[in-house]
Amino acid sequence: MILHFVERVLQTILVLLVISFVAFMLISTLGDPLGVLLPPDATIAERNALIARLNLDQPLLQRFWSFVMGILQGDFGLSYRTQQDVGAMIAERLPATVELAFVSLLITIVLAIPAGILCGVKPKTLVSRAIMLVSIAGITLPNFVIGILLIAVFSVHLGWFPSFGRGTVVELGNWTTGLLTVSGWQAIILPAFTLASFQMTFVIRMLRTQLMEVGHSEHIRFARARGLSETRVWFVYAIRNALLPTVTMLGLQLGNIIAFSVVTESVFAWPGLGSLFLQSVQSADIPVIAIYLIFVGAVYMLINLAVELSYPLIDPRLKRRSA
Amino acid sequence: MMEQPLLSVRHLSIGLSRQGTQLPVLNDVSFDVAPGEVLGVVGESGAGKSVAGAAIIDLLVPPLRRTAGEIALRGDRLDLMSPRQMHRVRGKRVGFIFQDPMTSLNPVLSIGKQLKDTMRTHLRLGSSELHGRALDWVTRVGLPNPERILKAAPHELSGGQRQRIVIALALCAEPEIVIADEPTTALDVSVQAQMLDLMRLLHKETGTAMVLITHDLGVVAKMADRVAVFYAGRLIEIASTRALFQSPRHPYTAGLIGATPAPDGQGGMQVVAIPGAMPGVDALPPGCAFHPRCPRAQADCRTVVPPLVVLGTGEAACLHPLPERTAA
Ligand SMILES: Nc1ncnc2c1ncn2[C@@H]1O[C@H](COP(=O)(O)OP(=O)(O)OP(=O)(O)O)[C@@H](O)[C@H]1O
Ligand code: SF4
Ligand SMILES: [Mg+2]
Repeated sequence: MILHFVERVLQTILVLLVISFVAFMLISTLGDPLGVLLPPDATIAERNALIARLNLDQPLLQRFWSFVMGILQGDFGLSYRTQQDVGAMIAERLPATVELAFVSLLITIVLAIPAGILCGVKPKTLVSRAIMLVSIAGITLPNFVIGILLIAVFSVHLGWFPSFGRGTVVELGNWTTGLLTVSGWQAIILPAFTLASFQMTFVIRMLRTQLMEVGHSEHIRFARARGLSETRVWFVYAIRNALLPTVTMLGLQLGNIIAFSVVTESVFAWPGLGSLFLQSVQSADIPVIAIYLIFVGAVYMLINLAVELSYPLIDPRLKRRSA
Repeated sequence: MMEQPLLSVRHLSIGLSRQGTQLPVLNDVSFDVAPGEVLGVVGESGAGKSVAGAAIIDLLVPPLRRTAGEIALRGDRLDLMSPRQMHRVRGKRVGFIFQDPMTSLNPVLSIGKQLKDTMRTHLRLGSSELHGRALDWVTRVGLPNPERILKAAPHELSGGQRQRIVIALALCAEPEIVIADEPTTALDVSVQAQMLDLMRLLHKETGTAMVLITHDLGVVAKMADRVAVFYAGRLIEIASTRALFQSPRHPYTAGLIGATPAPDGQGGMQVVAIPGAMPGVDALPPGCAFHPRCPRAQADCRTVVPPLVVLGTGEAACLHPLPERTAA
């Protein structure tokens, strides 16, 4: 178990290093930092100071090393576009994206899990069929189409929710939150739902398939043969089995939520990391793009690691094997 | 024959819907089980043994369906019961043991939870009493360290241990009859014998009647009071174990026994020394379904479906049965 743990942590670190290297190569081969960052009338001294600040005078591997050490110490470099510290730019945008991901996960859990259970337990009812039909939209329609449709209906036509921005935000130390105001919640509903649409479909279908499969399994037949009530058979004996793989998969999807948020954020002009990334792409702001890639990669890897390492806690079957 | 059967199955037929048509999987099967009796049910794979057992407590799932028949338990008509009433019969009055202990237990719930849930469903017991009984059952099925077993998840137990738990689960609400569908087939040979010993012991202790489905004639010889032989969806012979082994009346039964060592109660082979194979439900020949393989077949066997009739001390469904053989 401990050996496995160490192995997985080392693997994660290695993958992150590779991602960092790719990002670093982006920064060091694309663009001309001196040309971008220095004013046209810069002096030689200013130029040399910047070269030293960016370590441009050192060999490649050494520069990569400083790059990694810098990241570890919170020095993420300078944006070509705003000349600001990249770390500060990310920190400013992070709350919006994290809250968006959080609310979309909440929506998924509150809506999709009950819907998936219904579709699995009573697949033939009209409601279940309707849910399955609608859920096809979640898979086939691209994210931005769903977003635009929602805006058309709920913002433009009905006027219930705003179509862009975060509403009124409240400062909590370094964190800005929209979850403490009514307008903040109104603003987050549509983008969070758009972002959730893919996982919701996924959860509903997976839960349904799992439940239908478990429903035919021998141990459920045996539970019925012992006279356990249908309620107990489904809600205790079957759902535990079906929920396990669904929840783990949902955990693994968290990384995707953040990746997908680029599209959703741009549709709703959501001031999060995704929008920052798009702005940076448009203005070829390589350092920000690179740090964003590393950030998303790190989030992705860490979530996977956490989910995988918590498997044995969730599923008793794995306790022995990994012990 | 028997004054008051515990379980009475009459004219049970089961259909399999396939592409809009109904294929008969079980045809007009009738038999009784007396209180405390062990009825062995034997037959080749696909003969209809499992569907007959499942139909008794309404466990058939589509595409299988009971198409006819009456099932009575101490006079209570199970075939007329509502799903709600049926829940009170399953586990409580009729226990069921499945073939494969590896898949019979819920993998994510502890043994204790599964055992207690079953008892709680049928018996009015407080939680400490429930726990006591659960411990009791684990001990009764011969497992050491019951406290630890109750906390264990199924994967922490061996196949033999799991089958003991399955047996405890089937018996813990003290049913009047247990239907055991190949309870030992999935186990190692050495464990099989232990399991049969355990079942025999519990059967003696509790007096529970049993329908023991198997294709192992050795198991039947060891365990059963009477034997029912199934072939291609029909009951073709039923008699006391002694009479059946000594003087089988149906040519198929005779063939089965011919392929098996003497019924000395020490297990047996399952090879059928009859040429050919049992027809599937979708390719039943007209007349007696056994006629293509039968050494005694005559012209009428191809057209007439032989009914089950009393022959000596048992019953057989054959137009030209073997003569009774008296004890050597
Ligand atoms: N779920 C099912 N779907 C379709 N056909 C089935 C199903 N279950 C059983 N059958 C068919 O019903 C017939 C009887 O099956 P059954 O399982 O009762 O046989 P069995 O005597 O128990 O055989 P075995 O020794 O293999 O367990 C077989 O022809 C089988 O193909
Ligand atoms: S009825 Fe005819 S074919 Fe069928 S078992 Fe008897 S003798 Fe053989
Ligand atoms: Mg079977």
